[in-house]
Amino acid sequence: MLDVWVSGAGMTRIGRRPEALQDLMAAAAADALAMAGRERPDLIVVAAMNPEEFVGDGNFASSVATAMGFAEVPALRIETATSSGAAAFYAGFAQVAAGLHRTVLVVGGEKMTHLPTPKVSELIGRSIDAHERRYGATMPALAGLVTRALMARRGVDEREMSWVAVKNHAHGAKNPLAHFQAPVTLDDVMASRMIAEPLRLMHCCPISDGAAAVVLTVERAAVRVAGTGQGTDTLALRHRRALTSFRATQEAARAAFAMAGFGPERVEFAEVHDAFTPFELIALEDLGLVPPGEAGRVTLDGDTALDGRLPVNPSGGLKARGHPLAATGLAQIVECVWQLTGRAPGRQLDKRVALAHSIGGLASNNWVTLLESR
Amino acid sequence: MIEQIAASRCPRCGTVVAPPARLCPHDPVAMEPLQLPGAGEVVSFTTLHSPPEGFRSPLTLALVQLEGGACFVCHGAEATGLRIGARVAIEAIDGIYYFSHLGTLDRARLFWRRAGHAGDRVNAITRSVVKRVWKGRTRVEG
Repeated sequence: MLDVWVSGAGMTRIGRRPEALQDLMAAAAADALAMAGRERPDLIVVAAMNPEEFVGDGNFASSVATAMGFAEVPALRIETATSSGAAAFYAGFAQVAAGLHRTVLVVGGEKMTHLPTPKVSELIGRSIDAHERRYGATMPALAGLVTRALMARRGVDEREMSWVAVKNHAHGAKNPLAHFQAPVTLDDVMASRMIAEPLRLMHCCPISDGAAAVVLTVERAAVRVAGTGQGTDTLALRHRRALTSFRATQEAARAAFAMAGFGPERVEFAEVHDAFTPFELIALEDLGLVPPGEAGRVTLDGDTALDGRLPVNPSGGLKARGHPLAATGLAQIVECVWQLTGRAPGRQLDKRVALAHSIGGLASNNWVTLLESR
Repeated sequence: MIEQIAASRCPRCGTVVAPPARLCPHDPVAMEPLQLPGAGEVVSFTTLHSPPEGFRSPLTLALVQLEGGACFVCHGAEATGLRIGARVAIEAIDGIYYFSHLGTLDRARLFWRRAGHAGDRVNAITRSVVKRVWKGRTRVEG
């Protein structure tokens, strides 16, 4: 297996965007290619969760490649629900590692804010088991079930899960590309309206538009892909063997650390999938970054803040940077690459090893990516 | 009498799922059908204040661990006073399952069931009343 390097990383501002999805993706790709100093990739891997329904376009790999002026470059599309960006990164990584292509552009994006919220919820909810959907289960509903169990069985309290939102909004306020750029207080979070008890509005990430891209090369660059891993679980929440931890995250981490040849103790900062703020607490423990039962406490202690021992979601996370579905897994990696190469003014960390964690569906198809600066 | 819930069991790993599935989610093995009593313990529950189209707010959803082992998704009319670990009974109304707290009436029902069939008539009346009250409260018709 050849070493794979991230030579370029780019993304659009996340939020409500008027541009066509293909144009957002082309803009992110152009930024990534510019950083890499490459004009044309050998292969394009496209991540989009559901452009057929969200924007009405199909044959999406060709559509995106053409919008970029790369109609003659081979392009393919990857989909694993909300972790599609991370899955596309893996597909691009595998191509370069196998020696099949020397320069691969991986680009992900989603556009949803033009649709009414109930329609967006319904479309995202199609990644839930059909029987559970018959009972009105949406992503927030299933996350509410997980969160109630987490509070009852593992002692997580509302203050801890609310502080994740306060912290990530504070980080987002330092990221000019974040969807939300205003800090929030603990009172704001704990007084926001109930969505799926015990989850309140400000425990949930927003609906966002945006795109992110990276360029992977066989030629050496500043950031090496140390490891990547996938973990899976049953589609139905009711079939899970555990409710308050995610097997898919644990397995993805195990695989990624095995490839990297080091363990979670080497990780210096992380971008994790905080679509619902309690999920950040679950992720910290599932990834082995924090001992079991301590995620809430370390969060309140400030360990996961920008100036803490282990900064988590320096970009603002899904909560504040925003969650344009298939862009998210790549936006996390873009943040890690920018941090590792000194391109994150206002929130710059001085760290060498990064972890990105992406959840697909309600944690049925998760990814962990490990990046290391030279 | 207690509702019977259709389920299936994996002959290899013992996993029980409800409703029944053709193959076990963990192994490509044909599952064997079985019936489970509609009673169990609340694993978790939530009340949705912005339910999807076709449902009225607030909508209560619960995960219930059935006595036979399967975890089951159902609706409830009311989450007030509900706790994780609470014992609930499950009933089907128009093919949709609802839980209710296993209160005095249910306990009496369970006792009667154990004692024989003396309670069946009272039980049937209670059920039809309960169904009439629940119908339309949590699920929008059509």
